[in-house]
Amino acid sequence: MKFVEHTGQETVIKLENVSKIYKGEHMALRDATVEIEKGEFVFLVGPSGSGKSTFLRLLNREETAEKGKIYVAGKDIAALPGYKVPYLRRNIGSVFQDFKLLPNKTVAENVAFALEAIGRPKSVIREAVPQILELVGLGRKEGSMPNELSGGEQQRVSIARAFVNRPLILLADEPTGNLDPATSVGIMKLLDRINRTGTTVVMATHDRGIVDTMRRRVIELDRGSVVRDQARGVYE
Amino acid sequence: MAVRLDYVLKETGSNLVRNLTLTLASLLTVAIALAFVAVSFLIGTGINQSFLGLRSDVQMFVYMNPGATPDQIDSVNKSLESNPQVESVKFLDKEKTYAEFKRLFADQPDFVESINPEELPQSFRVKPTSTDADVVSAVGTEFENMTGVYRVEYAEEYARQVQKSLSTLNSWVRLFGVALIFVSVLLIFNTIRTAVFARRREIEVMRLVGASNWFIRLPFMTEGMVQGLLGALAAAGLTWGFDALWKRNFVNQVSFELLNQIKWTGGDLWKAVIMILVVGAVTGAVGSGIAVGRYLRV
Repeated sequence: MKFVEHTGQETVIKLENVSKIYKGEHMALRDATVEIEKGEFVFLVGPSGSGKSTFLRLLNREETAEKGKIYVAGKDIAALPGYKVPYLRRNIGSVFQDFKLLPNKTVAENVAFALEAIGRPKSVIREAVPQILELVGLGRKEGSMPNELSGGEQQRVSIARAFVNRPLILLADEPTGNLDPATSVGIMKLLDRINRTGTTVVMATHDRGIVDTMRRRVIELDRGSVVRDQARGVYE
Repeated sequence: MAVRLDYVLKETGSNLVRNLTLTLASLLTVAIALAFVAVSFLIGTGINQSFLGLRSDVQMFVYMNPGATPDQIDSVNKSLESNPQVESVKFLDKEKTYAEFKRLFADQPDFVESINPEELPQSFRVKPTSTDADVVSAVGTEFENMTGVYRVEYAEEYARQVQKSLSTLNSWVRLFGVALIFVSVLLIFNTIRTAVFARRREIEVMRLVGASNWFIRLPFMTEGMVQGLLGALAAAGLTWGFDALWKRNFVNQVSFELLNQIKWTGGDLWKAVIMILVVGAVTGAVGSGIAVGRYLRV
């Protein structure tokens, strides 16, 4: 089954008055309404606990919202039956602060795993993996184990894994959170490059320098509410 | 979406090897539990068959006085043979009785020495046509008062006693067997849950990249099935060993009066082995399916 885009418009992510309540009281997201178009690069900023991660987790249905509607590629994702959720996720790559690589698989195997897991044929995998590793600048490290790599390199592997399936959307939750500034710049260049292929990137971050340098759209959250939504914005 | 077979096989194999210690530990526990299940099945079957053996053999013993005259013996013999309720009669003279006596007390040569063959009572082994205890005792009383008869004994009485204790033993063994099946299911389930827990990151990544639930489950299920099967195979080996030991030490050994009655056939052994193979494979597969399910909930 293909996850089809049938809006005809360019909106890929749409939140309408979305609220997420944990344990009946704490509001992680409060009446959020946001629209993100295809090919946009969006920073989610705000203090810890302001709802950035919840925002991202709602998009690939790791979490479900108590109130409001969420559309991804024109589909109301709350209405998806459980067995179709994997197909939603095939259109959304995810990158995390802690990389989430499998420690007992090589770089190439980690990336191939993402394709194997969605049943891609071997011939496709054999071609796509070296190609994507070349793209993220790890062409020579395909046989290395994750623990032999630097943090920046590990994050590149995780980006390769998230992007190898050419998803519509790439979600990044503090992807530079564990990296030094120089390495972070390299990761941001990579994400920018991926964004320029038409992939929508939504990135939650604390990194003021990165946000201020890139001057992209900034959505600021504070205690679950969207308090600022600014094109070509800055951190504060 | 088709799940690729080579992928499933590769994952199953590498995971079994990767978690070798865990795999071995669970294999051993499963093997021991399943071996107990098979053994209790065999013993239960053996006990049931010993009932059949006893029933077909219902006998009555007519003991003559040691000093009974050949005439007296002859007349008892005649009336036994002419009795319509009697199917067959076998006379044990002094020599045969002594031979039997020597066989029974082979391990006590001093005792055998001390007995004078002349003092042993001669006896008739009688097989009545009916196995009904009432009929048998009715026949017995007829001969009790004949001259030269010392007393009449019924194998049935002995058989009933044996049957009673065997059937108590049997229900305990059965209960034990059922409890052990339950225990092995829990054991298999638990070891697989540990294995699944150890690989929750992998499952998390699979879900993130959009693997379907069945795709995630299948390698775990084949892994569980292989583990269950391997455990059951080891258990089959143990059962085989038990079978051989039992046959050598108990079956038809006079010194074990009750245990030597408990026997089973090669067919029963196969049944037990197939049973534990099925239990192992099914609980392995289903158990891992359930164990993984916990991590698949959105």
